[in-house]
Amino acid sequence: MSYAPYAVAVWLLLAGLFGIVTSKNLIHLALCVTVAQSGTYVLLLAIGYREHGTAPIFSDVPRSRRAVDPVVQALTLTDIVVGVTVAALLLALAVKAHERTGTLDPAELRELRG
Amino acid sequence: MSVLVPVTFALPLLAAPLLAGAGFWLPRRADDVAGILAAAATTVLAAIVLVRSFAGSSVYWFGGWRPRGGVSLGISFVVDPLGAAIALLTAALVTAALVYSWRYFDEVGTLFHVLVLLFLGGAIGFSYSGDLFNIFVCLELTCVAAFALTAFRIGEEGPIEGAFNFAVTNTLGAVLILFGIGLLYGRTGALNLAQIGRALEGRSPDGLVVVAFALLVAGFLVKAGAAPFHFWLSDAYAVAPAPVCVLFAGVMTEFGLFGLARIFWTVFALPLDDAFGLVRWTLVGFGILTAIVGALMSFLQRHVKRMLAFSSIAYTGIFLIGLGTLTPGGLAAAGLLVIAHGLSKGALFLGTGVMLERMHSVDELALRGRGRGFWISGLTWFAAAVALASPPFVGGWQGHEGLDHASTVLGRHWTAAFIAAVTIVSTGAILRAGARVFLGWGDRRDPLLSPEPDEEPEGEPERPALLLALPAAALAAAALAVGAVGTLTPHALLAAEQFTDTRAYAATVLEGRASQAPRRESPPTSAESVVWALVATGGAVGLAAFGLWRRRLPAVLRERVGRAVVPALDALRTVHSGHVGDYVAWLTFGTAVLGGLLAFGVLQ
Repeated sequence: MSYAPYAVAVWLLLAGLFGIVTSKNLIHLALCVTVAQSGTYVLLLAIGYREHGTAPIFSDVPRSRRAVDPVVQALTLTDIVVGVTVAALLLALAVKAHERTGTLDPAELRELRG
Repeated sequence: MSVLVPVTFALPLLAAPLLAGAGFWLPRRADDVAGILAAAATTVLAAIVLVRSFAGSSVYWFGGWRPRGGVSLGISFVVDPLGAAIALLTAALVTAALVYSWRYFDEVGTLFHVLVLLFLGGAIGFSYSGDLFNIFVCLELTCVAAFALTAFRIGEEGPIEGAFNFAVTNTLGAVLILFGIGLLYGRTGALNLAQIGRALEGRSPDGLVVVAFALLVAGFLVKAGAAPFHFWLSDAYAVAPAPVCVLFAGVMTEFGLFGLARIFWTVFALPLDDAFGLVRWTLVGFGILTAIVGALMSFLQRHVKRMLAFSSIAYTGIFLIGLGTLTPGGLAAAGLLVIAHGLSKGALFLGTGVMLERMHSVDELALRGRGRGFWISGLTWFAAAVALASPPFVGGWQGHEGLDHASTVLGRHWTAAFIAAVTIVSTGAILRAGARVFLGWGDRRDPLLSPEPDEEPEGEPERPALLLALPAAALAAAALAVGAVGTLTPHALLAAEQFTDTRAYAATVLEGRASQAPRRESPPTSAESVVWALVATGGAVGLAAFGLWRRRLPAVLRERVGRAVVPALDALRTVHSGHVGDYVAWLTFGTAVLGGLLAFGVLQ
């Protein structure tokens, strides 16, 4: 298998990190966190991929058929749930921050310094 | 195998949604009672599990999916004394926090209880789990509950910002951990810690294993709040409600270190056998940096909660040094310190709760002398500070003594001196704050301390004074007493011995061979340890006095020293910018340095 999916995974992580570091908007920032997280989804799915494998559901295909690894798919699903929870929380916090201060710029939310 | 282990894990996780659902119909106070009962029952169960675990690690396979021929498809809990002790400490602190918050959160009904119980459930699963992915999921459950708890006072700016920074940096830490897990799974096809360890054993580590190790270490150090990953910690602790801070300071950061120790001793200890020196000095190096940053920053704070947060960072550094010795003795010492630190920090954070509720501020300078009438809280404060300073046979003494013995692999003299210096600075700050608030000593102004925004929560509930003071006093008394319990050190050594025996762990999990580490006597108390403990305690008192009456020193002296020190301290302060982007940049930088060091060293 090619290395391309692994490169994509690392790229997504780095792109997400870059977005977070340079972000000027809390909503944009929260979405950058999900971009970094999706790097892990790509990595996990790439690890479990088998050439010409089918989905790991054997009710309607013979058991001898080559299938992709179901474990990493379960991991990915679990991780998506975790990611969605965090994203929901971050977006809720962004809404509250806007309500309270009228800005979404993390540079202007500098209550906690020094 | 006893069914007690999964029940201990399930109890808080079942109680939480039940409480959330039934909360609407429950009469007032019933939710408080139900929450406390659930936490107390979990504490009892966790204590039984701990006592039993000393007879040898026990393994529980969910659904009876036992391993066959060294391959495990099922998911296991592997309970050893160290993990069981962390679970018990969490459960006890959760109970204390719930008792303290009786009527504290009237306006939100059961939500606080639900979140705290979820936190507890995740923590127990995390400390019992023998499966890499379950460790990750349980840690995330704990963390998400912690994010929400941090933002509990959602109406104010500080908590929103603190929770946001906390959530973003910790989620990125989790991403690093998951990358590491993915790589390990790709290499070994296993998620069971013992099976991964077996698969990697006997092969020299290649690039992939080293990268996976570096990612896991970095991720767990983010959770532990080690410098330069620590920025979220001071923000989160400064804004979280006092009972939540008890949990954070007592166990939250320790989870990161525990996870790090767990994966190292079950998975990486054998493949990285030749690189022990490098891993040791890398971890100790991060520990030293963390301790210095934490200690200095804590002395510069006037916001008392933030000061305690930085002092926790300093202690994280000390724990990391103990863990970084990569010896059972160092791990045992770190564990003993965690217990003493958790109890005394719990008492101190509850003390800030009293300040906030009764004196309506947590600003050391503004509160000067306003705590004079609160003598129980004052005594509690000083007792907890002394327990932290650890003079002989008090508080963290056994941990400090153990660390002194274990640090021979690092060079005993400088380690002892360094740890004494860190204790002096971080405990000195706490003593200074206590003397100013409860005794009214010292100057009214101090330009050295960080300026504080006046975001003092208004409308705090007025609750009975005893209800506020008693949980803190109980925690402080326990913290003082813990240093004198002689059986603690041998038990900790036994637990650490069992924890660090990689091969025995794998045999227990995969073949069901029970094993028990040989009982060890604690080494005799050395005069040197006693001297260092006295130096640390005396130094802390001296430094507190310096902090209080600094301005009475001769002007020439102050100017000379000030010119040399103040720019450096200001630079350190500037780094803590409160901007989440900066924090993440530091996180990326730290991960790169860590990965570079390990990759360069191991693969050479």
